[in-house]
Amino acid sequence: MADLEDMDRRRFLSFTGKAGLSTLVAQAIGVNLGMIDIVHAQNGNRKVIPFRFAMISDSHLYSIADHKFDKHLEDAVVMVNNLNPAPDFVLFGGDVAQNGTEDQLVKGKKILSKLKMPMKVIPGEHDWYLDMGNAWRGLYGDETWSFDHKGVHFIGMNSILVKDFWTPAGLTPKQRMEAMEMLEGPIGGPWGVHEKQLEWLRKDVAKVSADTPVVIFTHSPLWDYYPRWNFQTSDAPEIRKILSKFKNVMSFHGHVHQTVFNRIGNMSSVGALSTSWPWPYPPVTLPYPQSQMYRADPANEQDGMGIQFADMAAGGGIARFQGFEEAMPPFLANGIKMGGGKTDGA
Amino acid sequence: MALDLAKFGKAVALPLGVCAAVAAGSVSAREPYTKEELAKQEQKLIASVDRGSALWHGARADMSNNGLACGNCHPDGAAANPQTFPKFMPMMDKVVAFRDMVNWCIENPQGGKPLDVNSPDMVALEAYAFYLHRGEKIEPGLATRQTVPVAVKSGMGYPRKPTGVGYDTK
Repeated sequence: MADLEDMDRRRFLSFTGKAGLSTLVAQAIGVNLGMIDIVHAQNGNRKVIPFRFAMISDSHLYSIADHKFDKHLEDAVVMVNNLNPAPDFVLFGGDVAQNGTEDQLVKGKKILSKLKMPMKVIPGEHDWYLDMGNAWRGLYGDETWSFDHKGVHFIGMNSILVKDFWTPAGLTPKQRMEAMEMLEGPIGGPWGVHEKQLEWLRKDVAKVSADTPVVIFTHSPLWDYYPRWNFQTSDAPEIRKILSKFKNVMSFHGHVHQTVFNRIGNMSSVGALSTSWPWPYPPVTLPYPQSQMYRADPANEQDGMGIQFADMAAGGGIARFQGFEEAMPPFLANGIKMGGGKTDGA
Repeated sequence: MALDLAKFGKAVALPLGVCAAVAAGSVSAREPYTKEELAKQEQKLIASVDRGSALWHGARADMSNNGLACGNCHPDGAAANPQTFPKFMPMMDKVVAFRDMVNWCIENPQGGKPLDVNSPDMVALEAYAFYLHRGEKIEPGLATRQTVPVAVKSGMGYPRKPTGVGYDTK
């Protein structure tokens, strides 16, 4: 068993060498692998076998046949299928559909079924508010889940829940959906996971040991980035409190359609590129401004969009973005180091 | 042709009293607008901004053949940067006005029919974009410059009839 794990690690290193990652990333992975050995020496029953997972997000498919966003999502699937080493699984970060209609959700499932590896999905607001998640659940399953993979605990949650604004106003399902579709629409108000899921999370992590690396997926960021555009999750402080016992929590989120990074306490957090369109950086100061991608060129149909993947090891992981167009600022091209202990982030 | 004031040194150097009289006579061709008149003008402007906001968010079907509206990429008008026009846009290979950029976006990413640049709807789109950037420094700029979007505090960013629906009813 130990031999197999060692071989996994050696193969992993050799693959990353072939993939031509920069020296900086190789060093960072080296550091993480060094930490694996230290963890092994100190704690025989806590093992992380290095592996990769990928993330595709925010395809915003329209009902129109042969829409350009169908092609974008297909391209993302091809990119993920061609990653070397291959990811063990793929996460879809929400907003597969634009208007929450069943045909859009079905179209997304059909394109995503071409992935060679298993997929886990969480919902976005565009998937949800036409029928309150009925069609989505039928096609994609539970919106709250967790599983363990090679020593890492993965959690997925539905972060796009809002208070009922439609019943008092007597809105139709379509009007409710339209109110939620507009990023700057003021009607829906701040999203959250709400108490039921918080209770589920408390129970879920109760038996997970504190030295287990935790990865949490939500549609919206688990920090107050720019609440007006719901670049936030209202009960993120509670989530972070529940997860505070862990040495290393890594949050991956969709919704922002841009590269962004932050660290608060034990949680590092990475935002995903979309496959549909990029969003401008909001008028706030970023805690890590170097995680900002270049301004997208509107004359280039796929600029500012793409996929992301993370290479996991004990002690953390390296998150990397792969744009449809190659150009990425140095910080992003080299990969973002997740984990590595508690800090005093913004 | 530039007017060389130095040549007219004598004529310009009028006695102080004459200057004051000329200035007083040219201050206003009419009485200042009353509060009521100004309110009416503001109302007309906001009506245009409101129409612009609707258009920005997809009110006119012929502006798009793929469902996309200005608001998909430019929430709260962000990154539209009207205050940086006219500027050179590489995709058109010339210096263009904001309205030309609006039409470029309608025709290309949105696959729609460009608007008549003198139409009330184009003025409305300009009214919305510029209203949301009021107070920003006018700075004709370069195409790749990253500008900071405006921070909209509430509602849709301009005064309108309260909706009474949901979280923020302004």
